[in-house]
Amino acid sequence: MTETSLYVLQQLINGLTIGSTYALIAIGYTMVYGIIGMINFAHGEVYMIGTYTAFITIIGLFTMGVSSLPVVLLLALMTAIIISSTYGYAIERVAYRPLRGGPRLIPLITAIGMSIFLQNYIRLAQGSRDLAMPALISGGIEFGDPDVFEVSLSWMQLIIWGVTLASMTALALFISRSRLGRACRACAQDLKMANLLGIDTNRIIALTFVIGAALAAIAGVMLGLYYGTINPYIGFMAGLKAFTAAVLGGIGSIPGAMLGGLILGITEAMTAAFFPSEYKDVVAFSLLVLILLFRPTGLLGKPEVEKV
Amino acid sequence: MKLKHGLFGNTLIATGTLIAALNAQADTLKIGIAGPVTGPVAQYGDMQKIGAMMAIDRINAAGGINGMTLEGVIYDDACDPKQAVAVANRIVNDDIRHVIGHLCSSSTEPASDIYEEEGVMMITAASTSPGITEKGYQLIFRTIGLDNLQGTLAAEYIQRNIKPQRLAVIHDKQQYGEGLATTVRDLLAESGTDTVMFEGVTPGDKDFSALIAKLKRNNVDFVYYGGYHPELGLILRQSREKGLDTRFMGPEGVVNSDLIAIAGKAMEGVLATAPKSFDQSPENMALVEAFKERDEDPSGPFVFPAYTAIQVMTEAMGATGKTDPYDLADYLRANRFNTTIGEIGFDKKGDLTEPTFEIYTLHTDGSKTPVSQ
Repeated sequence: MTETSLYVLQQLINGLTIGSTYALIAIGYTMVYGIIGMINFAHGEVYMIGTYTAFITIIGLFTMGVSSLPVVLLLALMTAIIISSTYGYAIERVAYRPLRGGPRLIPLITAIGMSIFLQNYIRLAQGSRDLAMPALISGGIEFGDPDVFEVSLSWMQLIIWGVTLASMTALALFISRSRLGRACRACAQDLKMANLLGIDTNRIIALTFVIGAALAAIAGVMLGLYYGTINPYIGFMAGLKAFTAAVLGGIGSIPGAMLGGLILGITEAMTAAFFPSEYKDVVAFSLLVLILLFRPTGLLGKPEVEKV
Repeated sequence: MKLKHGLFGNTLIATGTLIAALNAQADTLKIGIAGPVTGPVAQYGDMQKIGAMMAIDRINAAGGINGMTLEGVIYDDACDPKQAVAVANRIVNDDIRHVIGHLCSSSTEPASDIYEEEGVMMITAASTSPGITEKGYQLIFRTIGLDNLQGTLAAEYIQRNIKPQRLAVIHDKQQYGEGLATTVRDLLAESGTDTVMFEGVTPGDKDFSALIAKLKRNNVDFVYYGGYHPELGLILRQSREKGLDTRFMGPEGVVNSDLIAIAGKAMEGVLATAPKSFDQSPENMALVEAFKERDEDPSGPFVFPAYTAIQVMTEAMGATGKTDPYDLADYLRANRFNTTIGEIGFDKKGDLTEPTFEIYTLHTDGSKTPVSQ
């Protein structure tokens, strides 16, 4: 292979890694929007809480003398999922459910308030300095011609792909095969009708928040380990990017969120590859504006039918 | 309120009487030491005070200067620009013609206007903002390097010792980092080393994989980074994970124990410019002992620059036999001085002609070793 194609391959690997984590977080935005038509701006903070939980768990396990890598990873992932889901559920219960049925703008404002609250709460509880995640998984494989360009694929990147793929498959199976999944789809189609037909819609809505939070927690653990540092402000940018991904793919559509995440990640990597890397956010968000201008429903979104 | 006012007035009168009494003795020369005695940065003011006072005491112990005994008078500006102006006016009214201070650049700048206008010599041992000496003033000097001198020092070192074939300069788009990065790139371009890659990263960004792939593709063999430790730490950590072993160099902003926490083993061997630790240099050992005897800490960054400020001022007085600030200023600009911060000279602006920064190799255990240049 030529030098350029190897370089593009490397950037594709980088873009795919970051893109798949965007996709995981974007699911939370898109599912909530799909059912109650609201943007949960506190979702990025749930992701951030996931990284902090994982950090505390890992450090705790190390001090207790547990050093088996799979055990540490699995426990970190589990606690992050449990704690983040609890937060996701609690946020819905406390901040959104009492306001349901009101004007659309109200939950949006509480969501922003919730986001600011959680960010500052973690900052006060954990300090605002960057915390360094211990490097659990290092190394990887290198291929390509060492004289031309060596493509590196780290184990962590492979794990991110694997975990994302597994979570997405599980989610797709859950939505398409299970009873609860069917109820979710029914709620997304028509909340009021589903309620009339005997579906406990409050429970389903709470469930979508929990699922979204769990996926965000998975992304949080992965990214925390991949990048190496965490701070209380990472939720904002990650949330914004994931929201962009959700809108890009068509908000409300689960496959759309997956596709949008990957496209956004790869776009960012390619921009940084061929232009100065400070432009990558500019290009990512310009892409959002362009999609909204020419395809307001996103890539896989359906035009919204006015509900009577 | 009324009571407070009364108290303050009394103090002023008392001080005034004291000053009048001291003025009567012609063989005492008073030197103002202006800086924060109170407020959040008071510990920096303390560094300046112990440095200057030590110099004054030692000169007095050796017989004073031109038959005069020196006396340090402390003024508190609390690092507040408004109070600094008030302090400067009081110093002028107290008939003091020589000042060490102020400390915070934001205080030094407005105070220096008054000193220049009233014919008072001012030497700051701590203010690093370039603006202070940009006004073409005659009587304003400093015994501490400017931030941008780090760029000059780094560029010279890279040119002389590293001789990179493919240099990359990365910065964080902020005033400090981009300023330094631009200085390094431009100076190296002048001396014939071209930068193959010059680009910024977003502060707070966590993913540098695309940047690292680009560094690899450009076969970069040395990277200068202008910015702070959180981003450099991540770049180092992610570089080593992706098989990029290039050596990195950064400014003082990266020298921080958090760099070790973030980058771990990946930070071993990083080069950085940082202020010299004057309390470590062998020539100052006797002085360090003297500070320790007084139970004072000589390791603060402004202790030795403050000592040096008194040193050069009195040396000029001794050589010219005068105390007139204008004569002293001419002497300072024309000569070189052997001081506790090394051999120094002053340029036309009143800045040091050589940087007070040194290049260090940083280590994982938190230590740093000076690099021979």
